[in-house]
Amino acid sequence: MIWENIKLAFKAMSASKMRSLLSLLGIVIGVASVIAILTLGESATNSITQTIVESGLEMVTIFPVRSEKASNEFTEDFGNRLMRNVADIKTVLPVNSSTALIRMEQKSINATVSGVLSNYAEILNYTPEQGAFFTMSDNLANRQVVVLGSSVAEELFPGGDALGKYISIFRNQAKSYQVVGVMSSKDPSFNLQFNSAVYIPYNTYSQRFIKPTIVGSYVVRVADGADALKVSDDITSYLDSSIGSDAYRLFSPASLADMAQQITSTFSSFLAAIAAISLLVGGIGIMNIMLVSVAERTREIGVRKAMGASPWTIMGQFITEAIVLTITGGLIGIGLGTLLSWFVADLVGWSLYISYSSFIFAAGFSTLVGVFFGWYPAMKASKLDPIEALNYE
Amino acid sequence: MSKEVIKLHDVKRYFLMGEYIVKALDGISLSIKAGEFTAIMGPSGSGKSTLMNLIGCLDTPTEGLIEIDGDETLGMSEGALAYIRNQKVGFVFQQFNLLGKINALENVMTPLLYAGMGARERKEKAKMALERVGLGDRMRHRPNELSGGQKQRVAIARALVNNPSILLADEPTGALDTHTGLQIMELFDELNAEGRTVVVVTHDHDVASLAKRQIRVRDGRLEE
Repeated sequence: MIWENIKLAFKAMSASKMRSLLSLLGIVIGVASVIAILTLGESATNSITQTIVESGLEMVTIFPVRSEKASNEFTEDFGNRLMRNVADIKTVLPVNSSTALIRMEQKSINATVSGVLSNYAEILNYTPEQGAFFTMSDNLANRQVVVLGSSVAEELFPGGDALGKYISIFRNQAKSYQVVGVMSSKDPSFNLQFNSAVYIPYNTYSQRFIKPTIVGSYVVRVADGADALKVSDDITSYLDSSIGSDAYRLFSPASLADMAQQITSTFSSFLAAIAAISLLVGGIGIMNIMLVSVAERTREIGVRKAMGASPWTIMGQFITEAIVLTITGGLIGIGLGTLLSWFVADLVGWSLYISYSSFIFAAGFSTLVGVFFGWYPAMKASKLDPIEALNYE
Repeated sequence: MSKEVIKLHDVKRYFLMGEYIVKALDGISLSIKAGEFTAIMGPSGSGKSTLMNLIGCLDTPTEGLIEIDGDETLGMSEGALAYIRNQKVGFVFQQFNLLGKINALENVMTPLLYAGMGARERKEKAKMALERVGLGDRMRHRPNELSGGQKQRVAIARALVNNPSILLADEPTGALDTHTGLQIMELFDELNAEGRTVVVVTHDHDVASLAKRQIRVRDGRLEE
């Protein structure tokens, strides 16, 4: 019966192609815009997230805020304490940074000087181009060695002959440091500007530079395969309860990515909801055309009733016709919407993310529109008096 | 003694036309036995079509009882009446009333669809019905590709296909020329000879004379 009804519906649709097409247009446009918005929203979210992920999703940076309370807590031992209390942390790297004047013969520039541990580069996937990052023994022996970021090296040693040379770093007084490595270029990750910094051993920094009363920041590396977002949340709740929320700031690409995702998906859901209103308008168009169709086919309905079609059978026939109309519109809309998204994504340079769930949503919604707006005309058809319908001219 | 397939007891059908009550049928009692060939005659406005609509369960009486093939129709739901129309009555109309967008075979298959029959069986039975009325070679034609006589044959095949106990025809020759009309009436005669109960409504005496029993309706009452 359902199959027969579908065949009948297609017959009725092809009997008046132009009219069917025009009445479908509302549904087509509605579905196409919902699909385009959801697909583009998803694509935008993904490309934003991708950018954030590339910058180091597995890192969480903690910045202590200078205060009496903080200086008691954010000590060198803090990393160990954090790892004891929060699961899924691979390592915690203390970093002290300040800006200093660096001189090489006649050239001098201002650069960030960071005192870091010897495994800093490896943990951050930061690779040397020449030489090597300083070693653990450099750190333990407070050696005055330095590793240059790529742009610092370029500026001070345009000839690329930095390795083994001595540069002066001014902080209160000039100290001489031997260049042991030059790092390859690395894109900045949030607050970390790699290329314009130079790195000296952590202990050297503490001894030769200024003895900091508090560690500048901690770079927390999340364990491989762990959920960075959860770890960052765990760190937040641990710090809030043990030290207080005003004693630190926390940067986590994961939480930023999460926030970006929430914003874009909220935004695109909002837009899709507006576009869905046009689906309702399209539905009213369907109802209109179904009413016309029922009126035109009054005699047919009379004949069918005379042959023994029950009210439910007639109702089923016309509801099916409405649903076939809206689903056809929905499918065309899905096609058009996807095409449109593909075009826009290509234009903007996002990689297209096809959201199949939106296909299901659109198909389901247009079916619902068909049932809802087909109901009244179909009910009208089913309630026609057989004799009046048969005598209808 | 064969059983009565149509039984009407004091049937009244009133219509409200504005402020007036039109008594289309005003107390009709009638019974038709299985296998009878009956003509219902009367001038236009006499109520003969109303009578036929009531027998065919397309309409319900204002008062009175109607029994079709043993089923009392009083108080039946729309769905139950549809079932009677589908199973027990076959209609033939003056204006054929074929569905224009589908071919002859599909037209004849339609009542079987409402009877809930499978596609293969529907096709088989519809073919047989069309062959019975002599249209085995016109099955794939649409109504607008058929002559008036052929259309009426398709309509008769459609009325027959579900093997109803009653064949009801309302002015079946009214839209046909005399010769073709005669052929259609001969077909009804043959079908009656095969044992079917046939009721024809007509105002044409020549047509009515072919029937074995004539019933006259005037001003909503019988005058037999």
